[in-house]
Amino acid sequence: MANIRTKFKRGDEVKFISHLDLMKVFERAIRRARLPIAYSQGFNPHPNMVFGLPLSVGVTSEAEYGDFEITDEQMSVNEFLTRLNSQLPKGLEIIAAKARKSKDNIMALIAASRYSVVVGINSPCTEKDIKTSLNKYLAQNEIIVKKRTKSGIKDTNIRDMIFDLNFEYKPCGTFSIVKFSMLVSAGSKANLKPELLIDSIFDFMKLDYEIERIHREKLFIMAQNQLLDPMDGLVL
Amino acid sequence: MSIRLSDGLLKSVEKPSRYTGNEWNSVIKDPKTVDIRFAFCFPDTYEIGMSHLGMKILYHLLNERQDCYCERVFAPWTDMEAKMRENNIPLYALETKDEIKNFDFIGFTLQYEMSFTNIVNMLDLAGVPLTTADRKDNDPFVCAGGPCAYNPEPLADIIDFFMLGEGEEIINEVMDEYVKWKGTGKSRIAFLEEIAKLEGIYVPSFYEFDYNEDGTIKSFTPIKPQYPVKIKKRIIKDMDKVYYPEKMIVPYTDIVHDRIMLEVFRGCIRGCRFCQAGFIYRPVREKSHERLMELAKKLEESTGYEEISLTSLSTSDYSQLEEFTTELLDEMKERKVGLSLPSLRLDSFSLDLMEKAQKVRKSGLTFAPEAGTQRLRDVINKGITEEDLLNAVSLAFNGGWHGVKLYFMLGLPTETNEDVEGIADLAHKVVHAYKRVPMEKKGKGLNVTVSTATFVPKAFTPFQWEAQDSIENVSQKQMLLKERIRSKQITYNYHENKLSFLEAVFARGDRRICKALIKAWELGCKFDGWGEYFKYDIWMKAFEECGVDPYFYATRKREYDEILPWDHIDIGVSKKFLINESKKAYEEKITPNCRVNCGGCGAAVFESGICGGNGIG
Ligand code: SF4
Repeated sequence: MANIRTKFKRGDEVKFISHLDLMKVFERAIRRARLPIAYSQGFNPHPNMVFGLPLSVGVTSEAEYGDFEITDEQMSVNEFLTRLNSQLPKGLEIIAAKARKSKDNIMALIAASRYSVVVGINSPCTEKDIKTSLNKYLAQNEIIVKKRTKSGIKDTNIRDMIFDLNFEYKPCGTFSIVKFSMLVSAGSKANLKPELLIDSIFDFMKLDYEIERIHREKLFIMAQNQLLDPMDGLVL
Repeated sequence: MSIRLSDGLLKSVEKPSRYTGNEWNSVIKDPKTVDIRFAFCFPDTYEIGMSHLGMKILYHLLNERQDCYCERVFAPWTDMEAKMRENNIPLYALETKDEIKNFDFIGFTLQYEMSFTNIVNMLDLAGVPLTTADRKDNDPFVCAGGPCAYNPEPLADIIDFFMLGEGEEIINEVMDEYVKWKGTGKSRIAFLEEIAKLEGIYVPSFYEFDYNEDGTIKSFTPIKPQYPVKIKKRIIKDMDKVYYPEKMIVPYTDIVHDRIMLEVFRGCIRGCRFCQAGFIYRPVREKSHERLMELAKKLEESTGYEEISLTSLSTSDYSQLEEFTTELLDEMKERKVGLSLPSLRLDSFSLDLMEKAQKVRKSGLTFAPEAGTQRLRDVINKGITEEDLLNAVSLAFNGGWHGVKLYFMLGLPTETNEDVEGIADLAHKVVHAYKRVPMEKKGKGLNVTVSTATFVPKAFTPFQWEAQDSIENVSQKQMLLKERIRSKQITYNYHENKLSFLEAVFARGDRRICKALIKAWELGCKFDGWGEYFKYDIWMKAFEECGVDPYFYATRKREYDEILPWDHIDIGVSKKFLINESKKAYEEKITPNCRVNCGGCGAAVFESGICGGNGIG
């Protein structure tokens, strides 16, 4: 058995596919590519593959990760990458693949994610207004939002989930466009969805807005007490 | 021009991947390089349309042509439709996102009468005039095919021309004529006149109906002498040579049949008297098992699907089933491909096969005795006895299955309360059969589901002259059955009678009901087949406003010599044969299946398949 970690892109063409459906897309691409994937035992065998943090519907990404287990030790990661790419639909592309020794599950290690979010603001405001409000926003000790959890809607303090928040401002007629860059908690322990943060910011600023697009730029895992790229040699 | 769908809009609707296209094996062409743009429209949701074999075949067949680009169009679900109307987004084709108003053809496949309002709605969403009479030279041709096209009249005002019979046989000929006509500056009529010469093409506007005082049809006449008086369906003679796609689109979102569909044969040998498909698709024509193997391998490679389903009206009747499934299972074992086998008759071979074929969940098996007593099963020519059923379920129970679904119809011709009670008796006997199975072989907990649907008389069946049982009668029968079912292990489900009534109106309607269809749509009807959207009262209002009496079509018994709205369509099976079958039904006499004995139905005129005399396709 050999393990391969892949990093892949998810473009506009496939951003409306649910996480579950994405797994099927990979499963079928692997079958078409005739890759020697290992299957789980049991009545209803499944290919052994694990994906990183699910993306929300409508979000694009250049930092998705998937771990695959193959039965052919001899197969090079490059061959795996090329053959899989030839069978993936438009919008999905493996951009890197590396052999993995560690047994740690990628899902369990995810700790943070960087997103860029483009927002259109339909009411008058200047760059300075936003800067001032954002500083005030972040200066709060507690930021309470209504978060949907398994047991219903719950008040949650998200202040500690925001690691870094920047923005670029561009006026556009009566409209302004703001591109946020945010590093936030991600993963099973604490997960802050970018939409939720944006909602909370604009609630605070009392401005009308619309999210134009969300894109995941990076995903980090926590290992050896630091935030690392999932493809980092230290974690593989 | 390609329309733009904003992220916000798509995020706000259910299952946005229904509307975005780009699936694996979907065909990408440069529209500038083709002469014909064809919008293949399925008047229901993406999930249902994408599960339909005919659409898969014709989509790839048309796209094999260099000069044609065929794209898919489905009925947007109501949330999406609302957004489209709000934002002035016209109906567009999935591949290019171009609006279909500018296409050369808009083609509908007609699978179910209850999707007719969706056709009207889709044309409206597209911005195409709803009726043939209102279409101008630069509008697309609106055409249709599929099983409901065999009684085309309820859509006569809407559809410019119908293609009768198997699309693979006829559609290329129509496209060839179109290429010749396009750019000549000749009128729309000129094109329709050209294709009306092709066997299987029906142009409703070329014909007139005259009516008697009692509302029945007096005559059907071509408005010009050169138009054919009979329109004969087209069929594929050699199923091994017929086009079959080697690629099929693999959708992103879950659809109803998310697997490879392998068609093993067309037609049915059985001749159940209520079943329209059993007559319109005659005769039976099989694919050889070598050809099927070849297709299975190619499709598995090109799709990556993990399951193959063998499709046909009755897969057990495939003459080479054993050889073929053995070879297929062997071939696919390594690739872990499962087999799904709908429409199998339950005997020891098929149970064995099911066990081998799939990762079977031993819960559900289905069985369709259709009627509760032997007498009524003889009336409908359903060649199943009580013994067959009980043997089959016993075999299944001994094999560990513990769920059985039994399908029946209520309102069949000559049905009495005794027949209705017979359904309950049969279900109880099934429960009893379970009790006799030794403990150690039993699966956990028996679950028998009895489902009844309301019988709808269909064109081109021996029951085409019958009155549909009234809504009230059928409701009473449902109540009677409900009372009669005493076992906790039996669940009883039944269908909405009012929907079946409407289906009956359209199944045998003539062109006078077309205006009621458009009216009902104007009043807000669409997705009628989807319980939550069916508006019976609105439909009744539409009939009333248009002066159409729905009972005239649904619950009236016809005489054999009445001119029926579909009499100008020739399916091969003769009217004489249907009358004979109808009489035999009343005499409770059965007609053996085609393989036992040719009943001389008339389909032999096609000189192919089972009627050829060799017993197989
Ligand atoms: S002609 Fe005979 S064999 Fe052919 S379909 Fe009719 S009954 Fe069957």
